[in-house]
Amino acid sequence: MEFNEAHHMFRKTVRDFVEKEINPHADEWEKAAIFPGHELFKKLGDLGMLGLEYEPQYSGGGVDHSYTMIFAEELGRADVGGIPMAITVQTDMATPALAKWGSHELKMEYLAPACRGEKICGIAVTEPDAGSDVAGLKTTARRDGDDYIINGRKIFITNSIQADFLVVLARTSDEGGYKGMSLIVVPTDRPGFQVIRKLDKMGNHCSDTGELAFDDVRVPVTNRIGPEGRGFQLQMQQFQKERMIAVYTAVGAMTRAIERTVAYLKQRQAFGQPLINNQYIQYTLAELVTEIEALRYLGHACCEQIVRGEDVTRLATMAKLKAGRMGRRVADQCLQFHGGVGYMDDMWTSRYFRDSRLASIGGGADEVMLRILTGMEGFQA
Amino acid sequence: MRRRRPSESVNIIVCVKQIPDPETPAASFKVDEAAKKVIPAQGIAPVVNPFDPQATEAALRLRDAAGEGKVTVISLGPDSARDAIKHALAMGADEGVLLNDPSFEGIDNFQTAVALAKAIQKIGAFDLILMGRSAADWDMGVVPAGVGQLLGVPVVTVAKAIERNGGAVKVDRVLDDGFQTVETPLPAVVSVSNEFGEPRYPQLRQIMLAAKKTVQVWGAADIGMAADELGASGRWLPLDALYVPKVESNVEIIEGETPEEKARNLAQKLRAAKLI
Ligand SMILES: Cc1cc2nc3c(=O)[nH]c(=O)nc-3n(C[C@H](O)[C@H](O)[C@H](O)COP(=O)(O)OP(=O)(O)OC[C@H]3O[C@@H](n4cnc5c(N)ncnc54)[C@H](O)[C@@H]3O)c2cc1C
Repeated sequence: MEFNEAHHMFRKTVRDFVEKEINPHADEWEKAAIFPGHELFKKLGDLGMLGLEYEPQYSGGGVDHSYTMIFAEELGRADVGGIPMAITVQTDMATPALAKWGSHELKMEYLAPACRGEKICGIAVTEPDAGSDVAGLKTTARRDGDDYIINGRKIFITNSIQADFLVVLARTSDEGGYKGMSLIVVPTDRPGFQVIRKLDKMGNHCSDTGELAFDDVRVPVTNRIGPEGRGFQLQMQQFQKERMIAVYTAVGAMTRAIERTVAYLKQRQAFGQPLINNQYIQYTLAELVTEIEALRYLGHACCEQIVRGEDVTRLATMAKLKAGRMGRRVADQCLQFHGGVGYMDDMWTSRYFRDSRLASIGGGADEVMLRILTGMEGFQA
Repeated sequence: MRRRRPSESVNIIVCVKQIPDPETPAASFKVDEAAKKVIPAQGIAPVVNPFDPQATEAALRLRDAAGEGKVTVISLGPDSARDAIKHALAMGADEGVLLNDPSFEGIDNFQTAVALAKAIQKIGAFDLILMGRSAADWDMGVVPAGVGQLLGVPVVTVAKAIERNGGAVKVDRVLDDGFQTVETPLPAVVSVSNEFGEPRYPQLRQIMLAAKKTVQVWGAADIGMAADELGASGRWLPLDALYVPKVESNVEIIEGETPEEKARNLAQKLRAAKLI
């Protein structure tokens, strides 16, 4: 993967933005368990950062996926995992299908303001009784004239407390299984939509996560993204972007975690010398940076496939699996090498430990990645 | 020198400098005492002088308020100083010129002022020259005054606000104990302070445009500088020695039975040392 001058300038701009507009507020937002979404997103939207790959006529940036990769890697370096997650849910998890399959009118009404940072959005797939097994979801969108009437429950939905609209996966027919689902844009100001609760989480505190109820929520049929009944397939495509983002942000976060740990170990003294001079610590770090670099370059390979318009499922699944697992190891080792101070609640190490744990669950658990790979590799007699 | 007739359109030149990262940890900052040079810190990329994006920001606001005009960015430095120019272009500046020549190696602030003034004369018409209040590496802050003197135009330093008023600018200056408002006819040199406010981030669209722009590179001959004006031998301010000062500290614990007694003993010590 070759980076040019525009890539470098873009990377520097995102890094500056993270250092000046996110990090100084990290503690405050974590404590408040919310962040000023509309304010922060507007700043990002003004810089053209919320719709990098989308068409300029919908306020997108018209650049390729390599910029998304840089964006996510740099966001991953933030002092707090919840903000990168909130931003990338908007840019690369809730909107890819809308941008690719949505009608012009739908994109003007929802995609464009999302790119400008005027509207916040989320993706509502998971339900109390269906997570890993998306085909098990029960929310229905029943046709009534020119409207759909939506009924069901969604849970663990990122951005949903602040969202202006949600992209909801619901059943538009009773065929069952993978069939008969559609992706539908649901504005959150519709009667019958309700946030049942704001969920308390182990980490990513500043990101708002909700459990949602849809009771006879009426939206026009024109809010459907793509053909009726193709929602599952569109969501599976959309998941590829979500998984790549998880990889890129994890790489950024791990890289910074190692940098910070090395800086600490160089100045922390024990047994008459800086801790970093212990061979056990040196080799452990050398092993970790090797694996982080391997994952970074796997990410680059995925990025190149996406830029070339190829199917990225196999490598993206592997990379997502590895990102989840590696994040847990790096966070654990960084905390360990900090000793007692690393375990303190106000240290970055404990926040990173809590935040990074999510990557093995969200966007498809590690075991779901293994399941997909098993199928793709044909590991069955 | 051609002076422009006051019009709505504004032609601004911004001088920016690339410097070693001021955040470089003290342990990584090293000098070569024999060569009298700072050794670039390993793995720490140079940065744009922190005051300079504020000068660029000021230029862009004045240009945009005028509705038309041009912002040209000049930097004197090594190849890598192109990055400082590109950053200003990504913020929205129109054109960039890099003054780059082996004979610029080791020159002082006065020679820099001469080179910048000559480059500005080569560019031609201008209404305003903006610079950062000082460069955070040597922290001399003399280049704005030097350029103004050489071009024969007024110089206003440490601006926190600049407002154009036809053929003049009104500048709020930062003083130790307050602010001062002055007005000067154009053309003029104004140096901009951090009180000016945060510079903008480059927008994606501007980054893509800036990446495509070519930065002109002018050597010493292009701006008509003679050999004896250049190089470390041509310095106006010869550098005698360059070293990192040794910092020594002694700790003395002030004894006393009560806080009052400790305070009294401390006060006596300070008086004896003639510190109070
Ligand atoms: C903080 C947070 C934010 C989230 N944000 C969103 C969001 O914005 N939108 C959204 O739709 N969802 C969101 N989710 C939901 C997330 O995608 C699901 O939690 C995830 O897909 C797992 O589903 P589940 O929780 O129902 O677990 P389950 O499906 O119940 O699985 C539980 C565990 O069983 C194991 N398992 C599952 N299937 C298999 C298998 N076939 N073989 C072996 N083991 C298996 C895995 O270890 C898995 O972790 C979020 C979750 C969290 C925690």
